[in-house]
Amino acid sequence: MLSKLTGGKLYDPANGINGDTRDIYIRDGKIVDPPADSEIVHRTYSLDGKIVMAGAIDMHTHIGGGKVNIARTMLPEDQRGSARPKTDLTRSGGGHAIPSTLAAGYRYAEMGYTSCFEPAVLPANARQAHMEMADTPMIDTGGYAMLGNDDLLLQLISEGAEQQTLNDYVAWTLHAAQCIGIKVVNPGGINAFKFNQRALDVDDSHPHYRITPRDIVRTLSRALSELGVPHPLHVHASNLGVPGNYLSTLATMEAAEGFPIHLTHIQFHSYGAEGDQKFSSCAAEIAEAVNNQSNISIDVGQVMFGQTVTISGDTMAQHANHNHAHPNKWTCMDIECDAGCGVVPFRYRDKNFVNALQWAIGLELFLMVDDPWRIFLTTDHPNGAPFTSYPHLIRLLMDRGFRNDLMGQIHPEASAATHLGSLEREYSLYEIAIMTRAAPARILGLSDRGHLAPGALADIAVYHQHENPERMFERPMLVFKQGEVVVEEGRITQPVKGATQVVRPEYDKRIEKLIERRFERYHSIGLHNFVISDDEMAEGIGSQVNIHACKGSRT
Amino acid sequence: MSALTLKLKHSLSQRLDMSPFTPAHLAGKKVGEIASIPLWLGNRRVDAAELFAIDGKVTDQIVIQSESDRLDGIGAGMTSGKIMIEGKAGAYLGCGMRDGTIQVSGNVGVAAGCAMQGGHLEIAGNAGDFLGGAITGERQGMRGGIIILKGDAGDRAGDLMRRGTILIGGNCGDYCVSRMVAGTMVVLGQCGEQAGMAMRRGTLILTRPPVSMPATFNDNGRHHLNFLTLLIQSFKDQPPFSNLAERGNQVHRWLGDLSCGGQGEILICY
Repeated sequence: MLSKLTGGKLYDPANGINGDTRDIYIRDGKIVDPPADSEIVHRTYSLDGKIVMAGAIDMHTHIGGGKVNIARTMLPEDQRGSARPKTDLTRSGGGHAIPSTLAAGYRYAEMGYTSCFEPAVLPANARQAHMEMADTPMIDTGGYAMLGNDDLLLQLISEGAEQQTLNDYVAWTLHAAQCIGIKVVNPGGINAFKFNQRALDVDDSHPHYRITPRDIVRTLSRALSELGVPHPLHVHASNLGVPGNYLSTLATMEAAEGFPIHLTHIQFHSYGAEGDQKFSSCAAEIAEAVNNQSNISIDVGQVMFGQTVTISGDTMAQHANHNHAHPNKWTCMDIECDAGCGVVPFRYRDKNFVNALQWAIGLELFLMVDDPWRIFLTTDHPNGAPFTSYPHLIRLLMDRGFRNDLMGQIHPEASAATHLGSLEREYSLYEIAIMTRAAPARILGLSDRGHLAPGALADIAVYHQHENPERMFERPMLVFKQGEVVVEEGRITQPVKGATQVVRPEYDKRIEKLIERRFERYHSIGLHNFVISDDEMAEGIGSQVNIHACKGSRT
Repeated sequence: MSALTLKLKHSLSQRLDMSPFTPAHLAGKKVGEIASIPLWLGNRRVDAAELFAIDGKVTDQIVIQSESDRLDGIGAGMTSGKIMIEGKAGAYLGCGMRDGTIQVSGNVGVAAGCAMQGGHLEIAGNAGDFLGGAITGERQGMRGGIIILKGDAGDRAGDLMRRGTILIGGNCGDYCVSRMVAGTMVVLGQCGEQAGMAMRRGTLILTRPPVSMPATFNDNGRHHLNFLTLLIQSFKDQPPFSNLAERGNQVHRWLGDLSCGGQGEILICY
């Protein structure tokens, strides 16, 4: 079957198309070259000047895995408070800050998102994470496996193991956990927490292994680069949320020694300790460092005001913040001695100095980092805000007047402490398309999506032109998933299932002997029960696997 | 002038969510509109008129006639008026109610009066488990109002209760006032095993010792507590609870649960 989308205005930055009117042809779920005149077009969508973009990609959103479920069970009021009744097509779901799998999948699709990536898949919990993501309808998913606090890696680094051994271990982890990238959370810090350490800066020595977070970041970023994994090391840097932590962030950038790294939710890592309240914005310093170092990419983790819940593998930071829990309930726990987990519900208030400045710092970063290919639109769902606030965030970036109006409503000292009012930049639709489509696809190595050239999957979002970008992005006119219309006028018209995106770098299988010995001695399950096979993904877990190519060495 | 009467036409194959039928929610509606209110029956939506014979005028009173124990959530979140149930009620009766009155002539299911914040809930029959308890996953149960139960209660009555009064005329199951934060409960009959388990504060007034108490309760001896006179006086319109006055104000007092701070008390009137 051949379909044609005619008369739409395309925003396709990967192919340099900026608002040109072009036709798109779809066959068998993919975008194809214009067919010969003799061919019959079965279905024509006349779009008449509507905005056409590739389906959006959220490269950092917590939608699956143990801690998400802990947050759901901890906050039954969140599920009850925003119920989504079942319809003839869709099943019931609920939740605002931490939606159920079904509600999350439906709502993402209703905003034009077609692929989402869970950034904290603990290998020991990967099975649960993939099951939850398989249960999330409408979108393709993938995960980043967490390393850097597991005892095997830390021990190998401390024993001075060869880089090749570490590369093999990293590659094995990607295979075993069916993931597309590697994330390190508070390098070494979660592990140090268990040795009663309550802070670990980039050059502090781990109390047991006598290595530093700097060593871990360097080793892992080098490993991914040498393995040719497209997504650079995904780093949740040291000292999250601590005033003055921008120095740790700059040191983490330096620790990569030129290898590509991605610093995630950097808003939480851009704080100074100046001023009466000993809390200030260092967005300018961070933005300058990002602008000057082309190996670095970031996502923001914008804060929005309202109730949410913070969920993180960073036990150290979550334990430090538990006094701020609202409502007053929280948990921190160890997971299989591999990493940690902390869930702390939180309400960001615009009349609170710190929260208001966090909001401003996020926006400063968006506006001060020049290259939209290296900065991504995230709220670190649900840590800064639920993902449902993306349309509002897009309006903040595209509309300076609106931004300045809201600045008048926040804590007055915070609005005096930020440069936000003087930043004149307004994002264009083209730049929004880069941040939410083209750039995430590129940095994850997903050549089959994020653009509209022939050969790409027909994951397409069509929006009504509207002067208010929030209205425009919260309700697409049409969303195509692999060529099928799945959403019309912001309502699901056809429920579909996504697939799991992975990479499979090559490695020396001899590493499995070493890992197996460790499993036999220390782990609660055997190695063979730990590894998730393709058959299990397809049959047990219920999500097909799409393998994306790794590059040759990128030295 | 007769109150709005809903008579269940036939027995139900699934559980029915009755929460739309509160006086405040029905106020200003015509009987015809009420007939077409959609109700969840299991996972299907059906119009009210398919299940109920609806009769009378819309006032601030509703009469429900049912011999089914599957009508869940009657009076949930109600803020005013009166609901009279002639027959049985299902689970979550008066869940989260803030004000108004519910009277039931028969037995009710689990979690009656759970998360109740105010109002008056009277049950002539027996109640299931978790009377005046919490909504699943919440940390606080009943927060205000009064529950008067003439029959027996199931297990864990007053679980996580925070404020308000529960009067039980019959017996009470195991783990009575478990995890109670505060509030008052009176049981005239026999209490089961482990009464007061994990109780933090609050008062449980009994007429005879429970079958057992946690080991973390301490004997505090016999006392004359004058507040009991005042408390029991407040039940003067509520026989048989008003009869407690005949026992005087001497009680045997136990303090616990020491595993949770130990500021709760079990008072046994002789």
